[in-house]
Amino acid sequence: MPVLTATSRREIEVHRFPVLVYALVPLAALVLQAWLPRVLGRYAWFDLPLVVVVYFAMGRPSPIQGTIMGCILGIFEDALTQHAIGINGVAKTIVGFLSSSFGIRLDVENHTVRVLLTLALSLVSSGLYFFVYRILLGLSMEWDWINTLFIALGNTVVALILFPFLDRFRIRD
Amino acid sequence: MEPFIVRYRNLLVLLALLAVQIVGLATQVHKTDTGRMSLDPRDSGSVRLLRLWAEAVVAPPERLFHFGGSSFTDLWRNYVDLRHVREQNQQLQQTVDRLRFEQAALLEDARQGQRLQGLFNFQQQYLYKTLAAQVIGSSGAAQSRVFYIDKGSSDGLQHDMAVISPAGIVGKVRDVFPHTSQILVINDQSSGAGVILETTRIRGILRGNALGQPQIVSIISDNRIKPGERVLTAGGDQIFPRGLPVGVVDKVVRDPERDGFINVIVKPYAALDRLDEVLVITSMEPRFPPDQQQDMAESEAIKGAEVQQEEAQKKASQIMAERLPGLIDPNLPADQQPLNDSTPPPPVVHTVQPLRPDRFTPGNATGVTSGQTSAPANSTPSRTP
Repeated sequence: MPVLTATSRREIEVHRFPVLVYALVPLAALVLQAWLPRVLGRYAWFDLPLVVVVYFAMGRPSPIQGTIMGCILGIFEDALTQHAIGINGVAKTIVGFLSSSFGIRLDVENHTVRVLLTLALSLVSSGLYFFVYRILLGLSMEWDWINTLFIALGNTVVALILFPFLDRFRIRD
Repeated sequence: MEPFIVRYRNLLVLLALLAVQIVGLATQVHKTDTGRMSLDPRDSGSVRLLRLWAEAVVAPPERLFHFGGSSFTDLWRNYVDLRHVREQNQQLQQTVDRLRFEQAALLEDARQGQRLQGLFNFQQQYLYKTLAAQVIGSSGAAQSRVFYIDKGSSDGLQHDMAVISPAGIVGKVRDVFPHTSQILVINDQSSGAGVILETTRIRGILRGNALGQPQIVSIISDNRIKPGERVLTAGGDQIFPRGLPVGVVDKVVRDPERDGFINVIVKPYAALDRLDEVLVITSMEPRFPPDQQQDMAESEAIKGAEVQQEEAQKKASQIMAERLPGLIDPNLPADQQPLNDSTPPPPVVHTVQPLRPDRFTPGNATGVTSGQTSAPANSTPSRTP
């Protein structure tokens, strides 16, 4: 299957970006994630930091970078809420690790693969958040799965627009 | 053969990061008296530091976004103007466009002016001391309904202050930073406000559900609760003053966890998702309008005069008492003076004097011996015929 051809490490294309992109894009994602719900109200169905984690983690051959980026952005998101710090952190750490792992095995140049991966990882992230909050910490919380699905679909739409845009900043060898 | 650490370094890093975060999470929750797990209401020092850093990174750009809106409009308009200079053939159309932009900007300014005027009027007639603040950002997480305002500890804000709007209550201050504050909205699942239904006088606790709707939870099923009934603050939570409007009953649903109980979904008066300005109640000390303040000042003045007059009377009676010899004994110490004696005086017994002396009257018994019949003092002596 042409989509799943990255079987050896030689075939894996490493995405490199200027340092400013690594610094500013996650920061912009965090700021916009905090600001846009004010404008869009209840229709803010997206998680920009998650999309950014998935994008950068998929382009690196080592899962460590994706894991650390997911951890930092997740903790940052938690710090802006009133919830315990680490719930999003755990979820996005695992998502970062999985994105990198899939990035090694799948052809992440294919837009369909990237978008579907974003959809799947969004649902995984929500599931992990629910698991940590309800099962690991034992806290009571109602969960709206329809809203979760909308957020996953919203992330997919954002990925469709954002990924080609960020590809423009990639350093070509 | 690769060393173990090198071979599994990816997995080891993942596990290490997860372990650190899980340990950190464990320190932020505790078991309540009811046996349920709960988040600590107050953050520990390290958690607060993380929140402070996050807020310090996010708040300045948010402020820029918020207050730079008009600047962006100006920039855009200038851009349009430049294009207007270059393309003379579209002059008229672009002028119309520019006027439309201006009209939209003015309309927005007028709306904002009206909103602020309404807020100001409300603040003026409101009984408690309040501070107006602008909403600058949110948490960004779907499960967390908090937002940030542009006032903080430097403006006198403190933890647990009530946040309201002219329409109704909004939430409470959860965390205070030097120049911003985090507001926990009433439709968050971890919020709680004491409320009362206006007509049926049923009390309950208001908190959010998964859909972000405020609801009064765990009320015993009652057929009298109907949609449209007003919900007010009950005042028992020490945060919201009593009687503030909250919303109206939207619908009544069964409590999924307990039979015989219901949850009352409330439609809030305040537009919780689209707030621009809010008021923070900084002091629960009543603050009255100028005319009432004048009335109160006059009352205080009259009362003060009465008090002074009373004091003068007291002083005069004290001087009089000092001059009276029976009330001040020079041989006794000051604390044993009769003047200071607070013990009640013995009751005065008024003995009714008998018309004729008898042996029952106190003081006369000694003059009568047993077996004798006392003769009345004023009786005439008996005569022998």
